[in-house]
Amino acid sequence: MKRKVKMKSDALTLWLYVCGFLLLWEWLRPLKQLTDTSNIGVFIGFLVLSLVLSYFQVHILARSGIRLLYVLYTINFMYYVGPFFQFKWIGILTSDLIENMKLVFGANWTALSDSFRSLLFYLLLVLMTYLLRYWLVHRKQIFIFFFMTLVYITVLDTFTPYDATYAIVRIIILGFALMGILTFYRIMDREKWQKQPGFVRKWLMPLVVMVCASVLIGYAAPKASPIWPDPVPYITSYSEKGENDGPGGLSKVGYGTDDTELGGPFSADDTVVYETEVDTRQYWKVETKDEYTGKGWVASVENGLRTPFTQEDTYPFTNYLDPEMEVTKRTGIIKPQVGYPHLIYPLGLTSVKDNSASTFEIEENLEKIYLVDNDAAGMGEYRVEYDTPRFSVQAMKNTVDTSNPILTEEFLAQYTQLPESLPQRVKDLAVEITMNETNWYDKAKAVENYFDRADFQYDQKNVAVPGRTEDYVDQFLFDTQIGYCDNFSTSMVVLMRSLGIPARWVKGYTEGAFRGMSENDQRIYVITNNNAHSWVEVFFPEVGWVPFEPTKGYSNNAQFNYDDVSTETENQDELEAPVAPKPEKPEAKEATTQPKETEFSWKQLWEGTKDFVNLHWGWILGAFLTIVAIAYLLYETRIKWLPHYLVFRFRWRKKDEDFPDAYFALLNQLNRYGLKRKQAQTLRDYAEYIDEYFSSNEMGTLTASYERFLYKGSLEVGSWEQTKELWENLIKKTTS
Amino acid sequence: MASEKMNPTIEKILQNIERVMIGKRNVAELSLVALLAEGHVLLEDVPGVGKTMMVRALAKSVNANFRRIQFTPDLLPSDVTGVSIYNPREMEFQFRPGPIMGNIILADEINRTSPKTQSALLEGMEESSVTIDGVTHKLEKPFFVMATQNPIEYEGTYPLPEAQLDRFLLKMKMGYPEIEEEMEVLNRAQVLAPIEELEAVIDLAELRELQQAIKRVTVDDTIKRYIVDIANWTRTNTSVYLGASPRGSIALMKAAQAYAYMYGRDYVLPDDVKYLAPNVFAHRIILKSEAKFEGITAEDVVLRVLDRVPVPVQRLVK
Repeated sequence: MKRKVKMKSDALTLWLYVCGFLLLWEWLRPLKQLTDTSNIGVFIGFLVLSLVLSYFQVHILARSGIRLLYVLYTINFMYYVGPFFQFKWIGILTSDLIENMKLVFGANWTALSDSFRSLLFYLLLVLMTYLLRYWLVHRKQIFIFFFMTLVYITVLDTFTPYDATYAIVRIIILGFALMGILTFYRIMDREKWQKQPGFVRKWLMPLVVMVCASVLIGYAAPKASPIWPDPVPYITSYSEKGENDGPGGLSKVGYGTDDTELGGPFSADDTVVYETEVDTRQYWKVETKDEYTGKGWVASVENGLRTPFTQEDTYPFTNYLDPEMEVTKRTGIIKPQVGYPHLIYPLGLTSVKDNSASTFEIEENLEKIYLVDNDAAGMGEYRVEYDTPRFSVQAMKNTVDTSNPILTEEFLAQYTQLPESLPQRVKDLAVEITMNETNWYDKAKAVENYFDRADFQYDQKNVAVPGRTEDYVDQFLFDTQIGYCDNFSTSMVVLMRSLGIPARWVKGYTEGAFRGMSENDQRIYVITNNNAHSWVEVFFPEVGWVPFEPTKGYSNNAQFNYDDVSTETENQDELEAPVAPKPEKPEAKEATTQPKETEFSWKQLWEGTKDFVNLHWGWILGAFLTIVAIAYLLYETRIKWLPHYLVFRFRWRKKDEDFPDAYFALLNQLNRYGLKRKQAQTLRDYAEYIDEYFSSNEMGTLTASYERFLYKGSLEVGSWEQTKELWENLIKKTTS
Repeated sequence: MASEKMNPTIEKILQNIERVMIGKRNVAELSLVALLAEGHVLLEDVPGVGKTMMVRALAKSVNANFRRIQFTPDLLPSDVTGVSIYNPREMEFQFRPGPIMGNIILADEINRTSPKTQSALLEGMEESSVTIDGVTHKLEKPFFVMATQNPIEYEGTYPLPEAQLDRFLLKMKMGYPEIEEEMEVLNRAQVLAPIEELEAVIDLAELRELQQAIKRVTVDDTIKRYIVDIANWTRTNTSVYLGASPRGSIALMKAAQAYAYMYGRDYVLPDDVKYLAPNVFAHRIILKSEAKFEGITAEDVVLRVLDRVPVPVQRLVK
């Protein structure tokens, strides 16, 4: 009842919350377009829920509980199969959280799972709603938030494809309205105005008129053209990176076929080469190269065998050897803008189709697809179907040596080829980096992470060309340590190969720049020459070719499945122990057991708790309900038992300083009894009223004593001893 | 308050006054509050209800030098303060003190005289001194002015401006006596005017001591806060154009000290503040004209405020 009255008188507060929510919404709107975030509605629902709870001033515990339930439910709904109330999925969620926490501490940001990211995002939203409430209700100032929103939206509008034409107008209206209402509140506070509906109207009418008028004028007024030139191309030309094919000298970035002599600086080139429409961000492959010369890359077989295939055929090669691997079927549309004779294609390609029934040839050695009788630009757009993989880390970790029969000598010779001239220190470095790792996957990760060190710098200008006697990789690893993608990727391939692990060098393009959403809800990217890129593929016998990204500042778009790693490592150890008693074995155990132990105890604790709850849930629920019921009964009947408790409590307190507490307890008890004191009533008046009610003079005497204490600041010696009996009599009267 | 025992000296003075004034104990009490707190009183009432009798009885009780000034439109400032007259025998100007040079002064119908003459009196009230021909004459203490004004007539009056009203500690009304009381008044009027028989209870030196004693009455921070809260609420009340000034808050505190002392306490209660607030604040508040048209008076506003301001019942947390 009380709450209802409060709400009614605070219709203006409701408006505050609505405006605040709309302003916060503006932060979420661009996310769908600019990032991979989907299900934005769920997060907006969370915002609404949080603000509604906060508006009704729900108790903090209830508020947190409801929000937690919402978060868990939506996470279950979005990421897990199986109904919410079969709490099995909570176990999976917990292990997922633990796994992700490890990744966080390892600064391995890109590998975080989606569910964990969602959780973090929820956390961010909780903070935002808390801040919003703080600004609106406590500080009554919103300018900072309003200004930040403006900056955020304008920056997005300038540097991204997000169109904020109407967002700006909305933000201005909301911001002005909020600031107007809050100013009203602040003035009310300062001037101690009594709230009167007339005032609110008097204040709000001009506010509404002012906001409307200023927005209309701003909208209709002629706008001057910008004084400064558009800074965006300048800035983007600085930040975009690409690849250089030319040997030495300043060359333009872009895609070239000659990689025999790598190195040297290059300048940016904004020429658009492809436009794509796809579901997700991903790299585009053109070809792979397998022979490292010490200066660059060549194909081991010049003009190798070409296999023709038509649009009806399935793409004859596959990178995936693991039949159980999770894949997502996708399609993408590619619109070439420049006449290259080759196609670009995504990882996991299954078929290529265009409108003119062209046929293609694939050069097996390079995995490069050519158009027959046509060039790519002449062909117009084409469609690719492909399977986006989720590589099983476990399967990759299974490989520790070349014993798998799939690794034929011929294959190994091709993909672990290194020139005779490669300095020994490169090989030594490879061993040193991977000293603590046993399996191929961990080794590849160690090498990939090696390039994250601060010693390595990404640069397109100050890049050296190896001298006649120098090795390209050796120079980069030990002398310059400055370079772009070719330096990083070639170095990684060479390091992997010197460990005897098959690896190859891949050329192609990064995903390009996002340009908005297409009609059928796909993402449109524009690929320029600046997006030319090179990376690494490492071969795992149970999985196939897996991409790695050693270049600083780039992230691997391939997804890895960590789910089963933690649960199966121990099994694997047990299984493998008798089969392959290798000398490295003890080392391997040491390396893997340590993280396992902590994780194991967590798991055990969780399992133990779960078992206990499963076995005794009836008891737990019963005990909980009983406690709640007893607490409720005690609360309801407190008027009966509390006086006895108070008498008991104060009986043993003899000091005069205890008297004020006792008197105040008496006031509270009388209040509960129904003899309420009005806040403007003096104690003396109230005492008269009480004494009249009980036909006594006890309250008057007690009050006189208390008045001396309160308004003079002194207590007469022995006042509590003398009045204790009166106090007891009076407080006992309230129980009858 | 009735249950409390009064300070014996005060009780005697009040009984002395009651010998000539039938009823009106509250008016006598308030006048004494103003006298003890070294303030002045503005009495607003119709003629013939005993204003003069009241102040004369008070003056007699404390053995004070009583003067009366009847304000008329042609009264000059020098008629109030006194004037220097040339004495041909001694060949020099001689100062002849005016009626303001007394202890207890009745300024009757103060709103009948010109502002110039009013301000001569008000300067004396404010500064306890008057300046005549460039010479400053200190007024003897205690100095207590009881001004009266007739609220009925407006023709030919000069109402006191708000700034000058602020100089009166209290403003009060006498009101008519009860029926039995008025019959008793008639009874006594048949005999001798009893005022002539009245004797002093204390002398001026004792009165000055009482005035000093009042300053020692404790005003706790909770009470100060309560006073300030009341003043603040009058300032923010919707019917009020101008609320009580800080001088008003000081006045309320001093009056409450005097009142507490009269009731034999050496500390002030919220009850004291509550009782005195209408008399201290009402004449210091300027109402909006809308409120005046609605028939709201300043007393109503103060009473309404008192009904809302929470009384402190716990020590302030610092």
